[in-house]
Amino acid sequence: MSWYDNAAAPWIPVSRRLITARLTRLWVVTGLLIVGGVVGAAVTGEAWVLTVPLALAAIGGWLTWIIVRQVTAHAWAEGDEDLLVRRGRMFRSVTVVPYGRMQFVDVKAGPLDRMLGLATVQLHTASPGTDASIAGVPADEAARLRDRLTTRGEARLAGL
Amino acid sequence: MNDHIYQAPREWTRLHPVSPLLGGWAFFGILLAYWIHNQLPAWVDGGDEQWAFFDQFPLLWLIGAAALAFAITIGISVWQWRRTEYRIGDDAVYLRQGIVTRQQRQARLDRLQAVDVVQPLLARVFGFAAITVQVAGGDKAGVALKFLRLGDAEALRNEILALAAGITAGDDAPVTAGAEPAPASSTGLRDHLAERTQALRDPEALLAGRERVRTAVAAAEEREVYRVPVGRLIGSIVLSGPALTLASVPVIAVGVALVAHVDVLGVLLAVVGTSLVAIVTALAALLGFFWSRLNGGFGFTAGISADGLRLRHGLTETRRQTVPPGRVQAIRLHQPWLWRRRGWWRITINVAGYGVDDQSTDTVLHPVATREEALRAVWLVLPDLGDPDPAGTLGRAMHGAGDEGGFLASPESARRVDPFQWRFRGVRATERALLIRRGRWEKELFVVPHERTQSLALSQGPLRRALGLANVEVHSTAGTVRPVAAHLAVDDAIALLDAQAARAREGRRRQSPEQWMRAVGLETGA
Repeated sequence: MSWYDNAAAPWIPVSRRLITARLTRLWVVTGLLIVGGVVGAAVTGEAWVLTVPLALAAIGGWLTWIIVRQVTAHAWAEGDEDLLVRRGRMFRSVTVVPYGRMQFVDVKAGPLDRMLGLATVQLHTASPGTDASIAGVPADEAARLRDRLTTRGEARLAGL
Repeated sequence: MNDHIYQAPREWTRLHPVSPLLGGWAFFGILLAYWIHNQLPAWVDGGDEQWAFFDQFPLLWLIGAAALAFAITIGISVWQWRRTEYRIGDDAVYLRQGIVTRQQRQARLDRLQAVDVVQPLLARVFGFAAITVQVAGGDKAGVALKFLRLGDAEALRNEILALAAGITAGDDAPVTAGAEPAPASSTGLRDHLAERTQALRDPEALLAGRERVRTAVAAAEEREVYRVPVGRLIGSIVLSGPALTLASVPVIAVGVALVAHVDVLGVLLAVVGTSLVAIVTALAALLGFFWSRLNGGFGFTAGISADGLRLRHGLTETRRQTVPPGRVQAIRLHQPWLWRRRGWWRITINVAGYGVDDQSTDTVLHPVATREEALRAVWLVLPDLGDPDPAGTLGRAMHGAGDEGGFLASPESARRVDPFQWRFRGVRATERALLIRRGRWEKELFVVPHERTQSLALSQGPLRRALGLANVEVHSTAGTVRPVAAHLAVDDAIALLDAQAARAREGRRRQSPEQWMRAVGLETGA
C-alpha cells in the first residue's frame, strides 16, 4: 500500500475498545429498530413486513464491518515537530499539525467512553479546517497525551 | 472650548454621547424591513385584512404608539451607551458593556490582527467613526467601539497600532520620528461643526475617503500603491455572473417566445402573479450583490506604511483598514471567465477575525486588478516571494499550464475526474510561499506564506485511489481563502506534504515577531 508512511515516528493505533463503543452505539439503535420491525410483522401478520428488520440487520452488519475497518485504520504519531493523525480506509486522510500552531487541546469522553476507559483528544489550531481529533485514546494515555501536546505547544509556540 | 490633545483613555471612558443616536437607526431599518417583508404578500393579494387591524384605532393613537416606540428605542440606546465603557492599556484594549448581563472583553494587542475605522453613512455625515480591533482567537474576539469623533478614532487607531508595534508610550503621546505633532482634533463643538461644514462643502473628498483629519497621534506615513478607477469597478460588476443572469432573462424569454410561439406576456403575468415574492427576493439578492460590490470597491485605495497594509474604500459606508505586517494568512486571486479577456483579477485575503463569507467587504485586497496591479498587490502582502523571478513565477502561476516553470502538475490520470482543467492544475513552492494554481476558463491562484500554514492534510477517496491521485489541503485561518491542491499523483502529494511540513517549520523559525517595529529595530522608547 503506497500510502503515507511516517518515518519519523511510529504510528500508535487507537484502542480497539473504540470498536466496542461504536458498535454498542450502532446496535442499540439498529436493535431497537429491528425489534420494532419484528413486532410490527407479528402484529400485522404479514410476512413481507419481515423484510424491514432483515434489511436493517444487513445494513447493521455492513456498518459493523466499516466500523472495524475504520477503527483499525485510525492512528496517530507524535513527530518531533508535528502531530500526525491518520484516519479512514475508503476515504482516507492524514493530517499534519505542527505543535507550534496548536491553540488548545480538548479531551472529551461521553458516558459510554468513560465506561470503556476511552477519550477523544482534539487539537485546535486557528484554522477551522484542521481536523485533528483522535478518537478512542485510553483515558490515562489521553491525559498524558494532552500534557505532552501542551508542553510541546508551549515550547514551540509561534504567532498566528 | 479648550484645545486639548486627544489622549486615548487609560481610565474607563464612555464613547461619544451622540453614539446612541447614530446606532439606533439600524434597529428601525431592520424593523421596517421586517414589516415590509411581512406586508408584501398582503399588498400583492390586495387584501385589506392587514390594514383592518390599524383601522380600528384613531390616527392619533398610532402616531402616539410610534412616538413611544421611538422613545423606548432611544432610551434603551442611551442606557446601553451609559453602560458601555472602554479604555486602553499598554497591552490590551478593554471594553465593558451590557445592561442585564455585563460583559467585559479585552483585545490583547500582541494578538492584534487588524484595526479598522468604519464610518456608516449617518456617522460619516456627522463626522463620527467606529473602531474595530480584530484579534486572533475565536469568532467574537474583536472589540468594536461605536462611535467616536473621526479625528479621535483615527488618533486612537494610531495609538493602538503604535502600542501593538512595540513602541512604548510614555506620558506624552508617542510621536513618530520626523512627524510634526498634529494639532488636536478633540476640539469644541463649534470647531467640530465648522469642520463638518467644510467637509460637506467638499463632498468629493468625503466620498473618495480622502478627507484629511487632524489627529493627536500622527499616522505612520503612507505611500499609495494602487487605486481602482470607478469605470473599471463598474465594468467588473457588469461583467459578473449575476449581471449576466439578469441580462439573460429577457433574452431567454424572447428566444422561447420566438421558437415556441408562447404567449409570453400571459406566461410572464402568470409567473409574476404567482411568485412575486420569490422574484422580489431574488431581485433583492441580486441588487444586494451589486450593491456590496459597488459599495465595497468604490474608491478602493491600497497603500503601504510602517504600520502595514492600509486599505480604504466605500461609497456610503467607508472603511479604512490597517493590517500590520505578517497578518495576512493567505491570498486568493480569482478570475471569473468573463474577466478573462480584460485580464482582471479579484484578490481576497484571509486575516484572522475578518469576515468569512464571500461578500464581506473587509477581506478584499483588490476588487478588480489588472495583471500589473495583481502582481503589485501580492508584493504588498509578500514583499519577498522567495523567488529570483517573482513576476515570471507569478505570471506562470496565473496563466501557465502543465509543469512549465517548475510547477508540479497533475498526472494524466487526473483527466478522468477533472477533464477540463487537469492540465492547468499546478503547485509550486518558492522559498517563502506555496502557490497553488487551477482553472482553464475560470482561473484561481492561492498564495500561502509558509510561516502562515496552520496545518496540512492529505486526503483520498476511492475514486482518486483507483487513479493514483490525492489531494493536499493547506489549512488557513477562517476566511474566504481555502487552498487545496487537488488531483496530484499520490507520490507527489506525499512528497509535497512532507516538504511543506518542513518548509512551514522553517518558516515559523524565521517568523518576524508580533511587534513589527521591534523586528526592524525601530524602537522608540520613552
